[in-house]
Amino acid sequence: MQVDIRNRPSFANLHVQLGAGDRIIAEAGAMATMSSNIEMKTRFNGGFFGGIARRFLGNESIFVNEFSASSPADLVLTQPFPGDMICTELRGNTLYLQPGAFIACEPGVRMALGWAGLRSWIAGEGLFRLKLSGSGRLWFGAYGAIFDREVKGELIVDSGHLVAYEPTISINVGMAGGIFTSFFSGEGLITRVRGQGKIYMQSRSFDGLAAWTNSHLM
Amino acid sequence: MVMPASRESFQGGVFHASIPGGRSGATLTIARGELIADTISEPSIRFSIPLNQCQIDLGGASNRMVFCRTAEGDLTIFCEEKNFAKELDFQSGGMLAGPLKELKKGLAADANRFRFWLTVSAVACALLLFLGYFGVLWTAKIAIRALPVSVDEKIGSMAFSGMEMGRKLEANHPASRLVQEIVDKLKPHASIPDLKFKVTVVEDADINAFALPGGQIVVFTGLIKEAKSAEQIAGVLAHEMSHATLRHGIERVSQSLGIVAAIQIMVGDVGGLVALGAQVAQTSILTSYSRAAETEADLEGARMLNAAKIDPKAMADFFAMLKEKMGDLPDAMAWISTHPQHETRVQSIQDHQKKLPVVQYEPLQLDLKAAQDAL
Ligand SMILES: [Zn+2]
Repeated sequence: MQVDIRNRPSFANLHVQLGAGDRIIAEAGAMATMSSNIEMKTRFNGGFFGGIARRFLGNESIFVNEFSASSPADLVLTQPFPGDMICTELRGNTLYLQPGAFIACEPGVRMALGWAGLRSWIAGEGLFRLKLSGSGRLWFGAYGAIFDREVKGELIVDSGHLVAYEPTISINVGMAGGIFTSFFSGEGLITRVRGQGKIYMQSRSFDGLAAWTNSHLM
Repeated sequence: MVMPASRESFQGGVFHASIPGGRSGATLTIARGELIADTISEPSIRFSIPLNQCQIDLGGASNRMVFCRTAEGDLTIFCEEKNFAKELDFQSGGMLAGPLKELKKGLAADANRFRFWLTVSAVACALLLFLGYFGVLWTAKIAIRALPVSVDEKIGSMAFSGMEMGRKLEANHPASRLVQEIVDKLKPHASIPDLKFKVTVVEDADINAFALPGGQIVVFTGLIKEAKSAEQIAGVLAHEMSHATLRHGIERVSQSLGIVAAIQIMVGDVGGLVALGAQVAQTSILTSYSRAAETEADLEGARMLNAAKIDPKAMADFFAMLKEKMGDLPDAMAWISTHPQHETRVQSIQDHQKKLPVVQYEPLQLDLKAAQDAL
């Protein structure tokens, strides 16, 4: 299976070339075009209740689609917002993904929806997170550009910008300055990541988009 | 290959530069003083750290991830399985128990601090919302009181035209003239001098009278018929005129004000207020005031009567008469339904009368009998 990320970085999409017998799992709404010989099966994502929780709380569709082909075929997967996509390979390790970022993975990757906690929520990363483990390649997207950072120790990131992180990383919320500065500077809350491992960040945040849109509506 | 002596294996991971991608999931075992990690990726690579060289740390997304690092920091083995820390401590002969306990304490303190701030923030948010909500309502009430009386007049006339009433008597009807003359006598003593009192007598057997905001006064023929003296009618009129001068109608509107209407008023939307007031009036809420407002109108009414040289006792007499009537005429007691607590009212009027300046009362030179006969 050959997968290319095209039209980077602003309107990235996945161009998947399936060989005979290849399979790929994708977010339910991600399919843009596909060859007529591709078989598409829909299944619950992360179990029934996980799916329900994901639907209502995790802000992502309840189903994932599994695409397979018995002869070579093409498939294009997209994300609903403009931005880049990235590929990473799991080798028995785990990655936590902000719900909504997931695009596709190979069948060897397991998915589960987990409780991320109040800290994560306050940090603007959502109450839930997608836990991806197992082996295989994984593609996810972001709003704006994506960049990764190998953390060893502590790093401060703007809230709402964290897309993915490894379980060896802890997330804490803090204030950018004092209470006063935080309240009036607009910098507000920051996210403190600590530990050893990789984090993936997006260059833009949806909160920022919402604020920008609001300021132009009045 | 020597089989590990660990009682169990754990699922964890390794960070090392030699692994493609720098990390891998691994199966961990603890044997003969060493922590061993076999990577899951093919081909499996084995890494190990002697327990006595293990730099221990606790953290990760779950706060339960145990890290074991070499002193150089180039190799890290980690695991968050429940029994891993216990096994690590057991196999190291208690060597790692102390540091682990310290780390746990630190994390617990951090969690407590977080919970504390969370609680403080939640309480502060709730308080701000609460204060904001009542602050807006309170400011709107003040803003309403600062509005000109012309707003009262608008609300009153809108409510008046929207009310269903019996036939209105002509202005030159003896009953209309009687009521008008009493109002004219009381008017100079009203606390708002330029309020235009407008009297309408309506054909209705109910013993009732009410004042709308702005001085629109309605008296039912039933009340005139039942009155024992012109002074009693004067008592009711003084009370009703006081509702208008004390602006109880607009106060009532501000009480029934929702947060949205309050914000509208604060940004200067008086038209919205008038519409709201007329709406409130339709439901006849405008003429049923709070107990505090009724007492206030009683006392202000007594003051007006006294100033007009009419004995305020007539007002108390009227209440007493209504109370007597209540037994045999329950349906005709419309005024009573909006004006309960007779005994306390009679008492408070009498108490108040003692504080008013002493005046030589003059009986009203009005022919009540003729007005009653004309009905
Ligand atoms: Zn009253």
